[in-house]
Amino acid sequence: MIGRLKKILSNIFGKTEDDMSIGIYGPPNAGKSTLANQISQDLTGEEMSNVSEVPHETRDVEKKEKVEIEADGRSIQMNLLDMPGITTNVDFKDFKEHGIEEDDAKGRAKEATKGIVEAVKYLDDVDACLVIFDSTEDPYTQVNVTIIGNLEAKDIPILVLANKTDLEDSDPERVRDAFPQHPVLEISAKEGENIDKLYQEIVERLN
Amino acid sequence: MEFFSRAKLQDRSFEEKMEEIMDKVRESAVLVLEEGWSAEQKRKFIQKTMEEAGEEFPGVEFMGLDPSDNRLERAKSFVFDTVLGQDYRSGLTIVGNSRVMEKMKEEKHSISFLAKLEDDE
Repeated sequence: MIGRLKKILSNIFGKTEDDMSIGIYGPPNAGKSTLANQISQDLTGEEMSNVSEVPHETRDVEKKEKVEIEADGRSIQMNLLDMPGITTNVDFKDFKEHGIEEDDAKGRAKEATKGIVEAVKYLDDVDACLVIFDSTEDPYTQVNVTIIGNLEAKDIPILVLANKTDLEDSDPERVRDAFPQHPVLEISAKEGENIDKLYQEIVERLN
Repeated sequence: MEFFSRAKLQDRSFEEKMEEIMDKVRESAVLVLEEGWSAEQKRKFIQKTMEEAGEEFPGVEFMGLDPSDNRLERAKSFVFDTVLGQDYRSGLTIVGNSRVMEKMKEEKHSISFLAKLEDDE
C-alpha cells in the first residue's frame, strides 16, 4: 500500500520513480567518480566518469540513468549523478603542477568553476545523497559543512561515506566526529570494499 | 586583514555583504566577520565565488566558528527572528583570497591559518 501511495504522490507532483536521483557529493579527489564507476560498472556493465589524480577531473555533472540497486529482496531504480567536487577556489596554477600546459590549465579551471556552480544548484534537485570523504583527511571544512547543512535543511536523505579505507592513513573516526548526526559507512571505492553493504544501506535508508 | 563588527554587518542584506566581501578579497584582503552564516548563505557564497573566479582571482578560502546548537542560542535566534524581525547568527566567519591564505586548520571550536605577506620588491 505504501508503494502504491508513493506512486500516486509522485504522479501528482509530476515525478515518476524513474526521475528519482541520487547525487554523489564531496570535496575534490574524495573518490566520487571512482565510486560512481564502481556502482555503474557493477549494475550496468559500463563506467560513467573519468578518473585521475588531477583534481577537478569531473567538471560536468555526469549522469547514469535507470540504475537499479537490489539488496535483501528489495530494489530501487534511480538516476546516478556524479558531481564535480565542490570547493571555493580553483587555481589554474595547480593544474600546471600536474604537468598540464598553461592554456589547457586555464581552460580546465574555467570548466571546473562552471561545474561547481552546477553542482551547487543541483542540491535543490537531488532526492538522496551519498556524501563521500577521503578518510585520510580531516573532513571538517566549511564547504563540507555547507553541503551537509543544505541537504539537512531540505530533509534530503544522506549517507556519509568514509572512503579510501584501503590506505594506511585512513581514519574513519574523523568523519564520524565531524558529522555525528549521520550514519557513516566505511568503504574503499577503488578496491570495492563494503560496496554490497553500501547497496543495502541505499535501499534501506535512501529509498 | 580587516575586522567587521556585528554592528557594521547587521543592517545589510546578505547580497550587499557578499558584494563588498568579493571586492575586498579580490584585492587580497582577509576579512574577519563577527557573524556566522547559515547553510543557505554559505551555499550562496560558494556559488557567487565560483561565478566570479577566473585567472586573476581563483577564489577564496573561508572558515568559520558556527554558533553552538544549545537552548540559549536557539532562544536568542527565536527572539531576534520573531520579535525583532532580524537575522541572528552568532559566530565568526573568515574569508580571504585563496592565494593569500594557507595552512588552514579548522575544527568545530577552533580555526587557524597563515596569511602570506606580499613580497618586497
